[in-house]
Amino acid sequence: METANRQQGEAITPPAPPAARKSAICNLQSAIPRPVLLFDRVSKWYGPVLGVNQVTLELRGGITGLVGANGAGKTTLLRLATGQLRPDIGSVSVLGHDAWGQPGKRLVGYCPDVDAFYEEMSGRQFVCAMARLCGYDRAEARRRTEEALALVRMTGRSDRPIGGYSRGMRQRVKMAQALIHDPRLLILDEPLSGIDPVGRQEFVALYRELAARGKCLLVSSHELDELEKLTDHVAVMARGRIAAVGTLTQIRDLLDDQPLSVRMHCDQPRRLAAALMALEDVVGVELGEDGGLVARARNPRKFFQELTALVLEEGHDVRHVETLDDSAEAILGYLLGGRRGS
Amino acid sequence: MSTSAPETGPPAHDAKPEPENLTLHTQSSTLSAWLYLVCLSWQRQARVRHMVWISLALLALTALAVGVQTLSAGWGLEGRPWRSQGRWMGLTYEQALGETYVATSAIAPLGSPGAAGLDDGLLQSAWAVLQRSDFIRFSNSIFRIFVSFLLPLWSLSFGTEALGGDREGHNLLWLLTRPLPRPAIYLAKFVALLPWALALNLGGFALLCVAAGRPGLQALRLFWPAVLCATLAFGALFHLIGAYFRRPAIIALVYGFFLETILGNMPGYLKRLSISFYTRCMMYDAAGTFGVQPESPSVFLPVSGTTALLVLLGAAAALLLLGMYLFNRTEYVAAE
Repeated sequence: METANRQQGEAITPPAPPAARKSAICNLQSAIPRPVLLFDRVSKWYGPVLGVNQVTLELRGGITGLVGANGAGKTTLLRLATGQLRPDIGSVSVLGHDAWGQPGKRLVGYCPDVDAFYEEMSGRQFVCAMARLCGYDRAEARRRTEEALALVRMTGRSDRPIGGYSRGMRQRVKMAQALIHDPRLLILDEPLSGIDPVGRQEFVALYRELAARGKCLLVSSHELDELEKLTDHVAVMARGRIAAVGTLTQIRDLLDDQPLSVRMHCDQPRRLAAALMALEDVVGVELGEDGGLVARARNPRKFFQELTALVLEEGHDVRHVETLDDSAEAILGYLLGGRRGS
Repeated sequence: MSTSAPETGPPAHDAKPEPENLTLHTQSSTLSAWLYLVCLSWQRQARVRHMVWISLALLALTALAVGVQTLSAGWGLEGRPWRSQGRWMGLTYEQALGETYVATSAIAPLGSPGAAGLDDGLLQSAWAVLQRSDFIRFSNSIFRIFVSFLLPLWSLSFGTEALGGDREGHNLLWLLTRPLPRPAIYLAKFVALLPWALALNLGGFALLCVAAGRPGLQALRLFWPAVLCATLAFGALFHLIGAYFRRPAIIALVYGFFLETILGNMPGYLKRLSISFYTRCMMYDAAGTFGVQPESPSVFLPVSGTTALLVLLGAAAALLLLGMYLFNRTEYVAAE
C-alpha cells in the first residue's frame, strides 16, 4: 500500500516547486485514511530466535485472516499488535498511535488464545471488571457488560463462576471483554476454537456484523477452512515472515504464476527426470550429485496432482519430496489442505 | 516485503465508519480505572495462598510461644536462676541482689562512707536494670525472631503475590491490554498490597506484644514506627521481585533467609545493605533510654533513628520507582 500511495501521489500531483509539491503531498496524505493497524518493517527477537522478521503489513478495515503453522510467528504478531510485546526493529501503530502505549490500547480489543481468567469471578463480573479497568463508571460498565454479553449470547448464563464454564462459554466471555470498550480494531487469536458448530455460525455472523459496523478484525487461525467461511482475505505467515497476503484467489494465482522448485529423492532419478520432463508444467529438471533431482514447475497444484499420478502409474520409489521455497511451502501447505510442506 | 490489506468483508456502502475519537475517550477516566484496579487487586489479595497460610501459622506458633513464656516464667530476670562464672549459685537474680544488699548494708558502718555510698549506688542501678529486664529481654527476642525472620517472611507473602500471582496465573495480560499506563498498574498493585502487608506485620506484631503483657505493650508503643517503615521497604522490595522474577517467592525466600539474616549480622558496614539493619537501628534509637542497645555497639555500628527512618522510606520510594521503570519496559507473555 505504501507503494500504491506513492504512485497515486505522483500521478495526481502536477509538477510544481518543491515546497508546493511537499504541501500537495501532505494534503493528499491527510486525505488518505490512516491504516487501522500498521506493522512497519517489524522484527522481533526472543533472545537468539527471530520471532518476526521484517514484517510490513497494514490493515484498513474488514476481516483479515492470519494463518500459519505453529511457530510461524502469528501469536508474536498479535502480541505486537496488542502492545504486549515491543518490536526490536520497526514500529507497530494503531490509527497512528504506538501499539505499546495507552492511546493505542484504547483502540484495540483483544481476544487471546490463553485460557486464563479470574476463575473465582462470574462471567458477568469478569466482563464488568474489564469495563471498569477501561475507566467506565459503575453504571456505564454495567450497561456495556450487558450489551457485550448479549452480543456473545451469554446474558442468561453468565452468573456462575468462570471456573465451571465450558471451553465455548469461556471463549464467549473472552470475546465479550474484547468488545467492551467498542474498539476500532479487534485482534482475535483462535477465536473459534472450542466452540460448537452452531456457536461458530453465530460467531461468524457476529464478526461479519462487526466488520459491517466499520471495525477492523485480524483473526488468527490454524484452519484455513474456518477462515474461508469468514473472509476471503488472508495473510499467510511462515518462519516469521508474511509469505503472502491477499484474497485466496490472488494467492493461488500468484503461486501458479511463479515456478516452484521441488527436490526429490528416488531410486531411479534419471528415469523420473525423463518422465517429469514430459509433463506440461515442468520447465526444467536438474540432476543432483547426491542422487536427487530438482524439478522446476509452474502451476504447483496441477504439478503435484500429476506427480502423484506419475509415481503411482510408473512405480517410482520416491523417498523424499520437499519444496525449496519457504513461502511457497507454507502457502502450499495450507492451500493443499496440509499444515506445512508439500 | 510490503503487504497491504484491502477492505474486505461487507461492501463499503454498508460500513459505518466511526470517528477515531471513540466514545471511550470521553466517557472513561484513567483515574477511575486506576482506583478500580487498586480495589480489584486488594480484593484478589484476600485469596490467601500458601505463603500467607505459612505466615499465619508462624504467627500463631510464635504468639503461642510468647504467651506460654509470659504465663510461665515471665520476661523479667527476677525469678531466673542467677549464674556466676557459669555456675548456678542456687539463687534467683532477685534473691542474689537482695542478699548482696543485706550483706552490703551490714558491713557499710564498718567502712568509709564514700565506699558505702558507691556500693549503694551500684545496687540501686542493678535493681533498676532488673526491674526493666523484662522489656530488654522481650526487645532482644523481637530483634532476633521478629525483625530478622518473621517480618521479611510476612512481607514477602503478600509482596511477591501482587504481580507474581498474576504472572503465574497468566492473568497479567488482562491488565496489560487495558488502556492503563504500565507504571500505574505497578503502583496500583503496590497500593493494594499495603493494607494486607501492614495488617499482617503490624497486626501480627501487636498480637505478639499483647501476648507478652506489660513489656510487650511498651515495645508496641516504641517499635511500631520501625515495623511500619520496614513493611514499606520490604513491601517495595518484594513487589519488585514479584514483577521481575519468574519464581518470586523462591527468590524472596533466599533473599530473606540468607541476605537479610547473614548480611544483617555481619560485622562492618556491609550490613547497611540490609533492611533489617535500619529497622533495628530505629528500634534501638526508640528504646535507648530504657537500656536497650546492641550487644556490641562497636561491632554493630548503628546509625541514628532519623537516618534509619530516612533510609527505609527512601529505599521504599527508590525500589518503587525502579519497579515502575522496569515494569514499564518489561514484556510479559504467557507460555504458549
